[in-house]
Amino acid sequence: MNDPGQIDWSQKNSVVGKPLPRVDAGERVEGTAKYPADMALPGMLHAKTLRSPHAHAKIKSIDTMKAAALAGVKAIVTSGDFHDVPVGATIPMGEAGYDMWMVSVINIARDKVFWVGQPVAVVAATDPHIAEAALALIDVEYEALPAVMSIDAAMAPGAPAIHKHVITTGLEPPAQVPSNVCSRSVIERGNADDAISSAAASAAIDTTIDTGHQGYIEPQAMLAQVDSNGFAMVWAATQGQHTTELMISRMLDRPQSRIKVVPVEIGGGFGGKISIHGEAACVLLSEMTGRPVKMVMSREEVFQGGSGPPAAARHRIEVAAEADGTLTAIKGLYRQDCGGLPGLPPSLMMQASAALYQAPNLHLEGYDVVTNKPRTEAYRGPGGIQAYFAMEQAMDSLCQKLDMDPVEFRKKNAAVTGSTMPIGTPFPSIGLTTILDAVSKHDCWTSPLGEGAFPRGRGFGLGYWRGTSMTSACHISISGDGRPMVTMGSADISGTRTTMAQVAAEQFELSIDDVLVTMGDTKSVGYSDGAAGSRLARTMAAAIVEASDKALAELRTRAGRLLQTEPQTLTYERGVFRAPGAAQGGASISLAEIMQATLTDGAILETGVSTKLPLGVEVAAHVADVEVDTDTGQVTVLRYTAFQDVGRALNPTAVEGQIEGSVVQGLGWALTESFDYGDDGRLRNASMLDFRMPTALDVPPVEAVIIETPVPDVPYGLRGVGEVPIVPVGGCVANAVARAIGARVPQMPMTPERVLKAVKGR
Amino acid sequence: MSSSQKVVVTCRVNGEDHTVLADPRDTLLELLRDRLEMTGTKEGCGNGNCGSCTVLADGVAVCACLVLAGETDGLEITTVEGLTANGTRHPVQQALIEHGGTQCGFCTPGIIMSAVALLNEKSKPTDAEIRHAIAGNICRCTGYEKIVRAISSAAETSATARAEV
Repeated sequence: MNDPGQIDWSQKNSVVGKPLPRVDAGERVEGTAKYPADMALPGMLHAKTLRSPHAHAKIKSIDTMKAAALAGVKAIVTSGDFHDVPVGATIPMGEAGYDMWMVSVINIARDKVFWVGQPVAVVAATDPHIAEAALALIDVEYEALPAVMSIDAAMAPGAPAIHKHVITTGLEPPAQVPSNVCSRSVIERGNADDAISSAAASAAIDTTIDTGHQGYIEPQAMLAQVDSNGFAMVWAATQGQHTTELMISRMLDRPQSRIKVVPVEIGGGFGGKISIHGEAACVLLSEMTGRPVKMVMSREEVFQGGSGPPAAARHRIEVAAEADGTLTAIKGLYRQDCGGLPGLPPSLMMQASAALYQAPNLHLEGYDVVTNKPRTEAYRGPGGIQAYFAMEQAMDSLCQKLDMDPVEFRKKNAAVTGSTMPIGTPFPSIGLTTILDAVSKHDCWTSPLGEGAFPRGRGFGLGYWRGTSMTSACHISISGDGRPMVTMGSADISGTRTTMAQVAAEQFELSIDDVLVTMGDTKSVGYSDGAAGSRLARTMAAAIVEASDKALAELRTRAGRLLQTEPQTLTYERGVFRAPGAAQGGASISLAEIMQATLTDGAILETGVSTKLPLGVEVAAHVADVEVDTDTGQVTVLRYTAFQDVGRALNPTAVEGQIEGSVVQGLGWALTESFDYGDDGRLRNASMLDFRMPTALDVPPVEAVIIETPVPDVPYGLRGVGEVPIVPVGGCVANAVARAIGARVPQMPMTPERVLKAVKGR
Repeated sequence: MSSSQKVVVTCRVNGEDHTVLADPRDTLLELLRDRLEMTGTKEGCGNGNCGSCTVLADGVAVCACLVLAGETDGLEITTVEGLTANGTRHPVQQALIEHGGTQCGFCTPGIIMSAVALLNEKSKPTDAEIRHAIAGNICRCTGYEKIVRAISSAAETSATARAEV
């Protein structure tokens, strides 16, 4: 079992691939699952955060005297209490690291505030009501500065530069003066302009996408306790316990040997719970008071600058083709609003947006821009839904001009395994054409649309996400009764304990009930990257395969000794080693018997570490039927079908759950979800009533069609699952709307007002 | 008002009477979570928008964050902790497990209480009625379909159980 890619998994398929219930479902339905907000310790204090009322201002002074004097207030921290993390500092994560200066600024403002809601001071008091009352007693003197609230305003000549250290990268000749444009990225192949001007048909769309939000139902919450030896315990709802520990350590300049992060249940993350948002402050406050400190954000705090929303964007895409539908060029101008602090360069998102098409001529040019809005964070395929909202509408317009079926057009121009990606390298295993074949035969595409009271349309859209691998670690110990116990170095945000229990059970040929998979704290298991980038199930499965192989090898050695047989002559099946001729009454020994006899000879404790696993790129194709009320602009989604290649579905119920949930999140942003910022930088709809996420009445049943094209050299052939199903949604629904009303809606969300404007402008 | 002033609140939760000292500003949600240490009921928004804190008050589904603790005297409150009797889960709880209707689990207790209120009123709800009953509960993980299937299946299970009695 040294080369997991070569194993014929179909021969032993008792647990993996089964739609088993979550191993942790019971505690969820009984209300006993513990999230950080549910935890309490004796003597616990409650922390509340004072946040900036200004979008852009200098902090001239902070006076906490009156607040500190309020009965019940035990400690207050401001930026001076934290380590001054320099610009450019990073912690390890992936190839580029994670910007630690940014993390520090998200957690506490120093000298300046860059958005409304940025933390300025944190109070710990005996009661949350008292902590809240104390915030009003803190005097902060601000000097307001001009705020920049849109991509256009930020990029305009003479715009006030928000950060002195931001000088546009990627310009020739190199830029010299500070700017709100953090970087320029260009991907070029052939000559897109020439190809467009000489093409038989071309289409273009200029899109504007509003800021959305991940919308996790659990507001950020955390609990910290520092003991009298200075050892800090932190219970966090985080996507990565080791990342959380690194961040706390750097913010407080505190050795990691003095911090332990315990991951507890997380009420949704979707990318928004990678960074810490108060954990370091709670550690400080606990150290100052000698008491445990808990912070639970309010919903308003989450929305009003206390967490990172995904980026707003303005993307312009122009595409061209020959008369037979052969795509000749893609030209894209991408501008993303990364909020109050520099974001990731847009090149990954740009590549992703064009990846599914073979186009000989490309010109993709992207900018990431700072504005005085909350610093953005990841959300399910970061930047993907925004970019594909533009790309898939441009492609659909082109199909309309060519009078060509949208699926046939994609088949003609589809990227295939080995074709050249936008970055110039050959595509790894990709099942796009298999998906397209499945769509063109499916009832959702072939059945008539039907008549309604208002115009109906059927839309098609693709989505691609690269995902990542990074590193995952686990260890497996064999308990005294022979059962394998798996400890993961990563957090479970999407049912990983269940799918990994399936993998461990499959490896040991046991029932899922005979293995246990837990999330380890940072002092009990080695470094793993967080649950992000559709990487965890793939890489943790690889780590578990490695550790299981080692544990089974040691068990085999012990079995051989006990049976007085050469270990390599033993066969293993369903928890039992058998000597040759066992069927005829020869010797056999179970895992339980081996451990009963040898537990005190020494623990079996094996590790698995997965790094640089081949990518499992994700491809999705969606079909939506909509009806558009042309009197009100209201869009009703009648039917939605999502096709996705997952490589291999470890657990079909879990895979469907990821796809169905992702699509509904996408429908929310496509149709109703938008952060409405005033010119003063204040979010005017910081509640779940006004930031309108879909309810059960707003969405149809989503049908998930799972396709399995395994990735070579990856255990079980797994692809990433969780990110790509949101990517096509905006473009797919927009194409359905356009085909219903005969006009394009270039803004997302496609609110009734915007749709009505498009109807009237036909 | 003095920040340390407390009031005595009496309430009946899951069939048990409680008398506790509470802050006069406490909501029923804070009473349950902070004073009675029953944390199964969740807070997602604090202003009645998300439904995560749904409990039954005399059988009616209400957001516990919108009820003041001091108003609960005389009401029969049921929370998610009150549904599992003698180790047997309510059919809605069991069906959510079997249909994959719970993911992160944070909205789950609220969804369950809305569904229980529905099934107490209507033994065989249509899918449209189920969606209407949980329209005040926002779920961000599942996309709702597996929840609807679970509640529908629980209704059938309950009907079968009643027929057998």
